[in-house]
Amino acid sequence: MTLFESIVTGLDEARRHWGRTLLSLLGLVLGTGSIVAVLALFGGQTALTETYINEVGGAGTLIVSNRDQSADPTPRELAADWLTYRDAAFLKERATSLALVSAGWAQSLTYRVDDLSFRGQVIGTVPDYAKINDIRPMAGRFLSDLDVERKNRVAVLGWKFADSLFGAVERAVGGVVHLDGVRYVVVGVMEREELYFAAWSGNALRYRNERGYIPITTAIAQYSANDGDAISFLTLKARSGVRPRTAEQQVRALLYARHGFENFDIRGAGTGDNDQEFFLLFNFIFLVVGVVSLFTGGIVIANILLASVVERVREFGTRMALGATPLGVFVHVLAEVLVVTVLGGVAGLGLGMALTGVVGHFMQMPAVVSPFVGSIAITTALGVGLLAGIYPALRASRLSPVEALRYG
Amino acid sequence: MPPLIHARGLAKTYRLGRVDVAALRGVDTDVEAGEFVAIIGPSGSGKSTLMHILGCLDSPSAGAYELDGEDVSALRGRHLARVRNRKVGFVFQTFNLMPRLSVEENVALPLKHRGGISRADRKARARALLERLGLAERLRHRPDELSGGERQRVAIARALVGTPAILMADEPTGNLDSHSGAEVLATFEELHSGGHTILLVTHDPNVAARAQRTVELSDGRVV
Repeated sequence: MTLFESIVTGLDEARRHWGRTLLSLLGLVLGTGSIVAVLALFGGQTALTETYINEVGGAGTLIVSNRDQSADPTPRELAADWLTYRDAAFLKERATSLALVSAGWAQSLTYRVDDLSFRGQVIGTVPDYAKINDIRPMAGRFLSDLDVERKNRVAVLGWKFADSLFGAVERAVGGVVHLDGVRYVVVGVMEREELYFAAWSGNALRYRNERGYIPITTAIAQYSANDGDAISFLTLKARSGVRPRTAEQQVRALLYARHGFENFDIRGAGTGDNDQEFFLLFNFIFLVVGVVSLFTGGIVIANILLASVVERVREFGTRMALGATPLGVFVHVLAEVLVVTVLGGVAGLGLGMALTGVVGHFMQMPAVVSPFVGSIAITTALGVGLLAGIYPALRASRLSPVEALRYG
Repeated sequence: MPPLIHARGLAKTYRLGRVDVAALRGVDTDVEAGEFVAIIGPSGSGKSTLMHILGCLDSPSAGAYELDGEDVSALRGRHLARVRNRKVGFVFQTFNLMPRLSVEENVALPLKHRGGISRADRKARARALLERLGLAERLRHRPDELSGGERQRVAIARALVGTPAILMADEPTGNLDSHSGAEVLATFEELHSGGHTILLVTHDPNVAARAQRTVELSDGRVV
């Protein structure tokens, strides 16, 4: 009996016993469906995370920040310098793996325009900060090298702050804002930044709309003259073609040599984000559900198939008497289950796509059922079918013809 | 020319729980090509066991068996399946037709299991036999649409389709009314006079009387 005939027979068996087929398909369809949905949502989420990382600087962006002092610092640790503005110049000169280096000074200051005032974050930085973070002014300009060189008292506002302080973005440029009592001229307003992982998860880039930028030299001179040229962080961009890991190692070695102690942390931009961890958990749960239902589906199929083998012991006995080989009987039973499981896989793919659509729609999450996801679904279903079918097929093929004929 | 069936000292022991049960205790038998032989004996005499071994459905625990010149007593699994497929045609008491296949498909089944025969060829051979057995009108019917006698004639056609060396029947009239039974027996006689070798197991003396020769078993031995 050829494989094609086995498949035709398998299809025929599946059709004639459609109730049984439907039952065995249920677990498979649900399992495959939920795996498809998870992979699709996960794919969408991964794409979003990539967008997010690109938004906050891209994969080659590194952020260096001061590490908290240990509870019981050694003299060596106490002697170590914290991050300084000079570190930035040093890295610019020595770190060959870096394309861009920007220093950042961050503090919460009081913003005041006329009689409106509130506290908010102020970033003291350099022009390259905008390049690294891929942020652009929507009106006016960002900080310039000249601003940094001359310690100009100019400010660039995030969209939200410009709107709150001046009532409209257009009125902000050229306006005057006081930061902790120091007068600044607003030279630019940055573009509004938004990224939602899901409709209910809030704007992941909101912090960028709620801050202001001033030249780092101005910040140090005006607000932290007593601390020398201490800064809060360094934002670095690796050269294209250099692996972030390599750049990180070089920066670590250089700063360690300079500070004499590893009192700093280096991390990639966009990592360690709570939202992502949440989504990973979410996907994991879905995946577990999918695997469990597939497993259950597999057991159901194996059982139903076993029952159908028992039901047809006489038939197999007769076929053997007519010359069917053990292998022939094995293939016959297996072909039947494979046909059923491929059907189940296709139906599961359909269900998964529907599920993806519904979940994606209600939770406003992007999701894509790619051909890759589709092939995974079908392959998984086939795998389950094979595993479930092998035992019943083996049982059928090992029947002794005499006993099989005598059965029932 | 050696006999078609040449068996010496056939024994079969089953293990039932902790006791060994001897179903056959050394049977010698020969069947010549073209013979019509009935194996008779009371139930439990071992006649079915003997036929299963002669029909290559089972292997003897001891003894030698040559079928159509081939020593088959040591064959197992697919090798035995090949011999069954090519040399033996079976007819069962309960017909054992596939309920979901048409008459034509049922008859073609041994050829399907043999492999290497085109679908058209299988159909043609099945049809030719069914026509010869007077079932030309029934090709597309399902077994449950046929009478008992017709079903058994379909089973006979199925047993013959692979042109086996011998036709074996286990109580072929056991599930039939007397009229259908007579019909089926007439078919066997016809086949015999056409040159077919037939081996039949029965406990019915009237059926056995139609055979040329009888082999009587009692308690696992030929008497």
